[in-house]
Amino acid sequence: MNQLILQQGLSKELAHFPHILEFAHKKNNTIQLNSFSSNVADCICLYYILEGKFTWIIDSQEHTLYPGDFAMVLPGQCIGGQSSIMNIGALFWIKISTEDNGRLLLGKWSGLTKKEKVSVNQILLINKEQHVLKLKEAHALMHSLQAELQNEEVGFYTRANQLLDELFVLISRQFIRQNNSRRDFPQTFLKLEHALRQDLAHQWTVEEMATLIGMGTTAFTEKAKNYSGFSPLNYLINIRIAEATKLLKRNEVNITDIALNTGFYSSQHFSTTFKKLTGYTPTEFRKNKTTDQ
Amino acid sequence: MNCIIIIEMGTAAVKVFAFDLSGNLISSAKGHYPTFHEQTDHSEQDPEQMFITMLYILKNLLIEKIYPKKYTVSCICFGSSMHSLLAVDKDGVPLGNAITWADNRGKKEAADLKASALGEEIYKATGTPIHPMSSLIKIAWMKNNEPEKFGLAKKFMPMKSYIIQQLTGACVIDYSIASATGLMNIHNLAWDQAALDFAGITPEELPALHPVFYSGVTLKKEYQRVLKLSPTVKILIGSSDGCLATLGAGVWGNNMATITIEDSGAFRIIGDRIIEDPKQQIFNYLLTEKHIITGGPTSNGGVIFNWFTKQFGDFPKAFDIDQSMEMLIQEAATVEVGSGGLIFLPFLHGERAPIWNPNARGCYFGVNIRHERKHFIRATIEGILFEMYSIGRTLEKHRHIEGLSINGNFASIPLCTQMIADIFNKPVSTLSHGDSIGRGAFLLSATEMGIYPSLEEASKTVAMHQTYYPKPENHQVYAQYFKVFESLITKVADEFDIISDLQQRYS
Repeated sequence: MNQLILQQGLSKELAHFPHILEFAHKKNNTIQLNSFSSNVADCICLYYILEGKFTWIIDSQEHTLYPGDFAMVLPGQCIGGQSSIMNIGALFWIKISTEDNGRLLLGKWSGLTKKEKVSVNQILLINKEQHVLKLKEAHALMHSLQAELQNEEVGFYTRANQLLDELFVLISRQFIRQNNSRRDFPQTFLKLEHALRQDLAHQWTVEEMATLIGMGTTAFTEKAKNYSGFSPLNYLINIRIAEATKLLKRNEVNITDIALNTGFYSSQHFSTTFKKLTGYTPTEFRKNKTTDQ
Repeated sequence: MNCIIIIEMGTAAVKVFAFDLSGNLISSAKGHYPTFHEQTDHSEQDPEQMFITMLYILKNLLIEKIYPKKYTVSCICFGSSMHSLLAVDKDGVPLGNAITWADNRGKKEAADLKASALGEEIYKATGTPIHPMSSLIKIAWMKNNEPEKFGLAKKFMPMKSYIIQQLTGACVIDYSIASATGLMNIHNLAWDQAALDFAGITPEELPALHPVFYSGVTLKKEYQRVLKLSPTVKILIGSSDGCLATLGAGVWGNNMATITIEDSGAFRIIGDRIIEDPKQQIFNYLLTEKHIITGGPTSNGGVIFNWFTKQFGDFPKAFDIDQSMEMLIQEAATVEVGSGGLIFLPFLHGERAPIWNPNARGCYFGVNIRHERKHFIRATIEGILFEMYSIGRTLEKHRHIEGLSINGNFASIPLCTQMIADIFNKPVSTLSHGDSIGRGAFLLSATEMGIYPSLEEASKTVAMHQTYYPKPENHQVYAQYFKVFESLITKVADEFDIISDLQQRYS
């Protein structure tokens, strides 16, 4: 029986890994009531199915998972078995704590660069409604991770964290592959536009935008320019000013907040950029509304 | 040196053109804006983003391309796609997004009205077929389904009026765009009372009606300053994309018609009278009160070939759909006329003219074991063009047509142009300029400025580039397959409704 459940605080194997809250390789042979009741996650929960068929409700959506399927639940999302039971079968799961109240998914343990962490973060958040992926590559990876945690051979600390990084990179790439056919640029660009609008206050870089849709920076810039008529950053400024225009007309939010919410460094920066394009300062624009002569 | 600026608010992008007074294109630029489909049948755009994009593109073009060449702008003229609708509150602030022509949310309102005597009366008065595309139906939908928003709305206008209002402060609409709203009486050039009653609004809730030559508005001084334009620059409200493309197609007189196929398409003729169609299959839009553009639109043009390429094309380079399409076109060219008896109904987007059925769906018919991908490619193209032919035949019941001029990126593919000539059995000419809407808007502006004595004379300056002649033996084959195409549509009419209903229910 190669069944294993490690829990932070109880299992000495996790003593070196404060960020791993739980690691399990479980074979479930019987159906028990309330064996998997629905609860809201306060960490990242990742599941990989080895055998059997599992029917789960993730964020009130029903999913049926088969071997090779991988499920991701982020902090704040809800997961549980249908009728609160864990089906018969075998699976891996791992629970990983986040930092900064769930805003930073990959903590200090990760060896990814700062930029890479930001990108992985964005990709996971943007695709968080998707929950389930085909990710056969995770199979070998989870086994290796189990071996590292159990055997504690030389270099196990670094190796285990590298495997976690690898897992997150795999998940991110798979999201991008599944969601971008690499055929339909308009569709892909529209998805990017949605992502930008969701977080206009973020100081987006071209590199981040390109990564989000799985393109290199140079190819993305050229394609975006050709398709939209704007460089990626100018396109973004365009959305920012359009959004700011809307907020100015609504008269509910003060100008400094509008500036910061729409991604300008300051109300001064907003004012200058806005006036350069429209001829009005934000204050004048708000006073004049639209129908004056 | 003086120049004329054309601002064309298209479906997916704004295009800005600068012409010198002889009609040479000095420069042009485009800026894309997205369309949002939050629900099935919904198709919306952000009015502020459209305005800001237009302003950005216009400003850059003027400052980077026009002023350095020492040009002075003497006139700015507007074109725009038809049928869009934006509701604004008492302060002129948009209540949500603008709804585009492609939006089908008013399917039920349209079907009910079309089945009534009132529907026929409104069609006759307004020239706009009863369909969810029209502002009439969209406003009626809002009244029935979003009463709160409907109550807050103080004005209903197309995007073009909103753009002009932002720039000038005036709330105006031209006859061309107005005649496509389903709300304007094209016989007496006023808002139609029966249509207004159906929509539940008064004339005060609509922009003021003006001929396409109207220039009684001025740019706000802030925009004069930022665009470095003189206060005397003439702002011409202009016309619609369809009317301008027809003007720019050079088909005045001589029994000519024009075919446009971009993503969607249309078959149009120009004349001096309204053509009434008892079957309500065609539109009558006004270029001016004396010049009527009559025709029929299809929702299934190049967008269908685009769909086919995305699903079945090879993509040697990621996202390079142009290359993939070219490869498919080459493959299609190797297939015999009629695609070995494979017939395609292209109604993936439902259809407007001539069947006006939002529930219509696509279909490949006659598939046999010897058909390969290449037959499907060619059948797809032939299906799109057969559909254009059925629209053309509807128009031919009212007007004798001897030749065609074509424009739009799909119709201009040489293989397609030759197919059009063969299917219609008429000579088909391509134009020597790239963009008929831009050209049409230039001709309109130049006529207003006195450079041409009349629109008719202006239209005559349009030069044809190349003429494709029909091959009678090909027409013979197409004519036989077309009969099957046509009768198929009638035979599966009930199944269109059933399948569309099932699709809505289960997906």
